Amino acid sequence: MKHWELFVIPTFFLFFISGCSDSASFSQPIAYNHKKHIEEAGLGCFDCHTQVLTHQKANIPNVEFCKNCHETPMTDSKEEEKLVGYIQENQPIPWIQVHRVPDHAYFSHRRHVSLGKVACQDCHGDVNNMTLPFSKPFYPIKMQFCITCHEKNRVNTDCATCHR
Amino acid sequence: MKWGMVIDLQKCTGCGECAAACKLENNVAIVAHKESEMGRTMLWMDMLTIYEGEYPRLRVRQIPRPCMHCDHPPCTKVCPVRATYINEEGIVAQIYPQCIGCRYCMAACPYTVKSFNWYKPSFPPGMARTTNPDVSVRPVGVVEKCTFCIHRLQIAREQAKSEARDLRENDYQPACGASCPTGAIVFGDLENANHQVNRLAHNPRATKLLEDLGTEPKVIYLKEVD
Repeated sequence: MKHWELFVIPTFFLFFISGCSDSASFSQPIAYNHKKHIEEAGLGCFDCHTQVLTHQKANIPNVEFCKNCHETPMTDSKEEEKLVGYIQENQPIPWIQVHRVPDHAYFSHRRHVSLGKVACQDCHGDVNNMTLPFSKPFYPIKMQFCITCHEKNRVNTDCATCHR
Repeated sequence: MKWGMVIDLQKCTGCGECAAACKLENNVAIVAHKESEMGRTMLWMDMLTIYEGEYPRLRVRQIPRPCMHCDHPPCTKVCPVRATYINEEGIVAQIYPQCIGCRYCMAACPYTVKSFNWYKPSFPPGMARTTNPDVSVRPVGVVEKCTFCIHRLQIAREQAKSEARDLRENDYQPACGASCPTGAIVFGDLENANHQVNRLAHNPRATKLLEDLGTEPKVIYLKEVD
């Protein structure tokens, strides 16, 4: 083997591996701090994600909602400055959706949270202590994850309950 | 609980509204004319053409034909991966991510209700964004068929539970039944004496397609009265 091959091949391999592992993570437009909002502002999950208990799909609040508190800056944080910029321009924050259930599966937040009394943390992880927004799902969105919980709680595991 | 359907041929005018509603409701792909001539048309609710009598007294009729959701379905018995199976409520379900596209079920079905996705699903310009978000768009290489609009059952059941009540007859109606302008398609629980479908299933006019095969279809036709 030539000398240059000894260097080039492992380098390519490392690039390939690093590319694969990073492909599933995203960087969000604002470094939103869940912990601060929960502990210092005293907010709960459903104060901002208002549709969780009543709708199939959960929601991320829009700038109109954030404006209730952040119309003028409350701190000298650079991240808040970005938010205020979006509010003043009345532009939606380009959040990247991280948790995405495939369209062949029926998933309803209302059914799980409101009717099934599943805690948010059971699927989304320890959000209360998160200082940065989601860059990738806390738990992988795989069928086995759903089945494990359904079996543990003795809920219907018939395929057609969720598949469509 | 056993879901079933009654189609009253006395009321059916063969207008094809059920077939159109089904196609839109379930994001059934539109196949080009050339491929359609090769027998690759995709329809969950087909209109069977029946010729009665002889010229000059020839009569042509159109009869709606969804999946029969048989009690003894031949398709589920041949599926090697359990992508199609009959559930406790009698619905013969089709689980697309599980399907390997072998098409054994299509060969086994005596009613030819199943369609194979020969092509990547495509919709005419402007229609791609009007697909029903409650139903998945099937990928190429899987078999699909009528599911009695099971997504409507999933949604209706959740709504009933959130209102702390039982599922009512009208809560869950497939698109074909809901769209029928003459009320010829009646859907409900065959085991529930309060449901209209239960009474109609015991009507003397009731008949089933290819009944002698022993598949026990849960789609029952009411013959025309001469």
